[in-house]
Parts: sequence; C-alpha cells; structure tokens
Amino acid sequence: MMLPPEVFIDALIYSNLLSLLAIGLTLTYLTLKVPNFAYGDLATIGIYVAFTFNEFYSLHPYLTPPLAFITAGLVSLASYILVFRPLWRRESSIVTLMIASIAVEIALRSMIHIYASALGLRRRVSLARFDEPVSIASLELPSVLLATTLTAITLVCSLYLFLNKTKFGTAMRAAIENPYLASTLGINVEQVYAVSWFLAGGLAGVAGLFLPFRISATPETGWELLLRIFAASVLGGLNSIFGAILGGYITGFAEVVGIYLLSRPPLNISTAYRPAIPFALFIVVLLVLPQGITGINWRRLKRKILRGEKE
Amino acid sequence: MIEFICAFLTFYSIYLILSISLNIEYGYTGIPNFGKVMFFGAGAFTVGALTSRLLAPLVGIDLSNTNFKIENIKIAESISKTYLMQRPIESIIVFLGMLTLGAIVGGIIGLLASYPAIRLREDYLGMTLVVAGELIRLIAYNYDPLICGTFGVHVPNVFSFIKSPGWTFDVIGLGTVKNPLVDIGDVVLDIIKAGVMFAIALSVWLLAQRLMNSPFGRLLRAVRDNEIAAEALGKDVAKTRMIALVIGSAMAGLAGSMYAFYTLTVHATDFTPIRTFIVWVMVVLGGAGNNVGAAVGTLIYLVIERGIAMIKQYFPMLPFDINYLSYIIMGALLILILMYKSEGLIPEKPPKYTEE
Repeated sequence: MMLPPEVFIDALIYSNLLSLLAIGLTLTYLTLKVPNFAYGDLATIGIYVAFTFNEFYSLHPYLTPPLAFITAGLVSLASYILVFRPLWRRESSIVTLMIASIAVEIALRSMIHIYASALGLRRRVSLARFDEPVSIASLELPSVLLATTLTAITLVCSLYLFLNKTKFGTAMRAAIENPYLASTLGINVEQVYAVSWFLAGGLAGVAGLFLPFRISATPETGWELLLRIFAASVLGGLNSIFGAILGGYITGFAEVVGIYLLSRPPLNISTAYRPAIPFALFIVVLLVLPQGITGINWRRLKRKILRGEKE
Repeated sequence: MIEFICAFLTFYSIYLILSISLNIEYGYTGIPNFGKVMFFGAGAFTVGALTSRLLAPLVGIDLSNTNFKIENIKIAESISKTYLMQRPIESIIVFLGMLTLGAIVGGIIGLLASYPAIRLREDYLGMTLVVAGELIRLIAYNYDPLICGTFGVHVPNVFSFIKSPGWTFDVIGLGTVKNPLVDIGDVVLDIIKAGVMFAIALSVWLLAQRLMNSPFGRLLRAVRDNEIAAEALGKDVAKTRMIALVIGSAMAGLAGSMYAFYTLTVHATDFTPIRTFIVWVMVVLGGAGNNVGAAVGTLIYLVIERGIAMIKQYFPMLPFDINYLSYIIMGALLILILMYKSEGLIPEKPPKYTEE
C-alpha cells in the first residue's frame, strides 16, 4: 500500500520538530538526570512568541526563530538558576527535583494561560496562512516542510560543531560525562549546565514556533506534546543526541503514519486516539529496550542471532 | 456562610483521603506516584459509568433502546425521583456499595501500576505515571460507552431520600412513622452530607494512622530507608511496595467515588494532572511520612486556595481565570518548601519504641 504524499510530508514536518524537542529534553536530562516535565511548555512559549510578533509587529513567522530561541532559552535558564540549581546544590533527591519540575510546569502553563487570556485570545492560535506552497523542480511542497527541515539540519549541525569542535563544547561533554572529574580539572560545571539548559530551551522554542503552521495551538499544546517528547527521548536512550534524533523520527513517523493507517478501513479508529500510539511505543520501549536504541549492543545481538541460526 | 463551610469540609474530606493515600505511597514507602489523578479518576469513573446503568432496570428504563449518552441526565434524575427518594435503605446500600466498588477498581489499577512501580527507576516511573494518567483521561473523553465522553455523565443523587416525604418506617408501639427529616432546611441537608463525607475521611485517617504505627508501617519505612537491609532481614520488598500502592490506590478510588456522589456529575476534563500536583503540594507542605502532616497540609492548601478564589469577588473584571494565579502561587510555594523546609511543616517523627 502506498502512503499518500501528504501523510509523508506531515510525518516529516512533525518528526523534524519532535527530534529537536527530543534533543533538548535529552540535553537537560543529561545534566541533572531529571525528566523535565516543564519542557513541553517551552515549546508553547515558542508558539506564543511567533504569534505575538506576528500580531503586533507584523513580523513574518519565518523571521522569528531567533526570538523564540532566546525567549524560551531564557525561561529555561531561569528555571534552572532559580529552581533546579539551588535544589541540586542542596543535594536534593531525584524525586524532589521531579516534584519541583512539576511545580515549574504547572506555574509556567498557568502563566501562558494568563498571557493568552490577557491578549484576549479566546480562539486557538494558528499560523497556517503562512504555509504557502513552494514549487521546486515541478514539485509543490509546503514551505513549512522546507523551513522545518532546514531549521532542524542547521540546529543539529551547529550543535554538533559546538559540542565537538569548540573548547566550551568539549568542556560541556566532559562535565556531562563526569561532573566530579570535570570540576577537578577546573571546568565550571554549573556554568556548563546553565548553557545546556539555555540551549535546550532554545531548541524547544524554535520547534514550538512551527507547530501552529499545522495544528491550531492552545496554551496546553506543549503539555500535550510532552508525551511524544518523552517517548522519543526514551527511545533514543536519554543519553545521546544522536539517539534523540533517531527517536524523534521514529516516534513522529509511527504516530502520523500509524494513525493514518488505523483510521482507515478496516479498523476505522477515531483519530482522537492518536496519542495512544506514542504512549504504546513508550511502554514497549520501557519493557523491551529500557536503554534505548543507542544502548543496543549490535555486535552481541548479531552474535546472538548467528548463534541462534546455528542451533 | 454555612453552605461555604460545608462545601469546604466536603472538599477537605476528599482531598484528605487523597493526601493520606499519597503519604502512604510516597511518605512511608517512597514510591513517587505522579499519577494520582488516574486512581482518583478510576473511582469517579466507576461511579459515573455504573450507578445509573445498574439502577435503570429497577425503575423500568430499558437501556438497550435509549441513547445513554444523550439521555443520561434524564435517567439519573428519574432514578433519584422515582426510586432513591422512596428508599432510604437502598440509597445507603447504593452509596456504600459504589464507594466500595470505586475503591476496588482503584486498587486493581494500583495493582497494574505496581508492575512498573517495582521495576522502574524513579525518573522513568514518574514519566510513565504522568503519561498514563493523561492517556486515561483521553480515552474517557473520547470513548463514549464509559462516561459519555464529551457530554459527561450524571450520577443519581443518593442523598435525595433524606428530605423526601416519600417514605415511612414502622416503629413498634407507634405504628407507621413519617420521615422525621422532611421539614429540615437545605442548610441542614448540606451539613448532613458534609458530615457523612467527613466521617468517611476521618475513618480513613484513623485507619491509616493505625496501620502506619503497626509493624506493617515500620516495614514500609524500612523498605523506603534501606531496601537492602529490609531484604537482608527476609522482607519481600517488591511485595511490600505492591501492597502499599494497592492500599493507596484503593483510597484514591474511594475519594474519587465520593467526589462523584458529591458533584453528581463526572466529566473527563475534570481529571487533569493538576489534581496530582495539588495532592503533592498538600503532602510536601504538611510533611511527608506522617498523617498529621498530610491533614495539616491539606487544610493549609485549601485555605490558601479559597482565599485566592475570594480575591475574585473584589476584582470581577479580572481578564483571566483566577485558578491560574493560584496554581502559580502554589507552584512557587512548593518550590520554596522544597528548598528551605524540605521535611515539611510537621516533620516525620522517629517511631516510638516500647521499653520492655
């Protein structure tokens, strides 16, 4: 059976954004080892930054990624400096950090709600009118597909260069790998973590900005997305940027293509059950592959399979 | 004013049970249950989905040729009017029976949740439970046969018999006596309802207090403080955590059932993770690991929350929902407590020893 191209395009746009979000969540998880429940709301901030600048300053949404990056990055940084760093210094348990993270999430989401109400936004936020088709070599493609793909590639490449080719990036990897050893070598671990949180927030902001092109967004959108971000990051192993990218694409495609297939005859399942797909994926990964894709020891697996064949 | 106090007492009772249940799981056993709303919802959904359906045949409504989704409000009303108002004993049986059933369903879901709870690390467990709670809400919202999806379901009023003139009882020597409560005002009815709810909450509290000061309570704390030591002493850590989660979840299911009977309507949108957050604030604020702390934390939370809600009367033009302001304040309060007084207002006391 052939997939219609729209489903494929939809899945690709969605997966581009999801892998950016999964990278960001992984970045914060690598630092404090706490799942950041407030992460989805940083994407919501991106949505409202794009909307606000478009509504009041008539700025084209494609020009706002830097603004969304900085705003969401600063909010993320603030949550680290005001909440997580003080708790980390007190050597709080992981559960305490998680409770704090839920508190940040609720407070942040409430603030976005208040902001949206104060703007008089009774309706949902949509930027779909900016999604004009672009024709490239006789192909009509939605511009948001090109924009998200380019943004994802640019951000991933710059993150890669930053982490691998700059001195600060090397220090960052060292601090994440072994904070105690890194601090004895004179690396300011807290500063490194702060940069991590800023970058993670920025990625969420940029990814969020592109959401209202395809769906109509509300202050709850980011929170509703969190399930997918968790699924993608856990699938990626929660310990590698590469895994997060892979997890993002697998989760995104599984969800979009999966619900397309399930909602057609013979099953005719309501598309409202769409979030059940990433959830099922999440549960299966936890049960079968708790270390994620990047945790698989391919050589051992190969040997196992070969041995199995011999028997 | 009395109405206000009664509503406050009822909510206090429901949240008290919830915070005791979280206290047993997290405070005593160390299981961070970030999916409390799921178990609370389980109880409420049980009452919502079953009460009308079970009683409908008794009042001669044939469910097979009615659209339950659209007509459930009429069905619930006619059950209250034509059946429950005339039958005090049956009403009480329905009330207590459904509460028990809600607790059982909560407990069963707790048993299911104990599978990941025993095996996963805290961070993965937290993600799983938060996400599972959202998924259950989503299914309840979209799957009509459960609680009528977007419409919500109405619950027959099991308290309707109290003021009803429709029943009599026989007393030896006096003959048939009419219902003596027919002439009470609505305020007295409110007081009776709130009293019933509070009595249930108080019994749960006393039960929890007794249970947590028994050898079983010490076992829970042993598992929390040092799993390996508990195991070395021959205790089954996995089973202990499972039992704690089942007890806690059954209590949350009970609270959910009470909530459904009090509000008389169950709607999926009501069961968001905010409820989980509220219960966490209560337990952390009051002090985890002791039931007095849970009771105090619940009281303080509700007083602050009501206080913020009252601001609305003075600013009727506020452009946003005042609840959001209260969530922001509660979030900040929770973080401050975690930073400066992480043991809560009433810290856990070391267990008493009896000298031999």
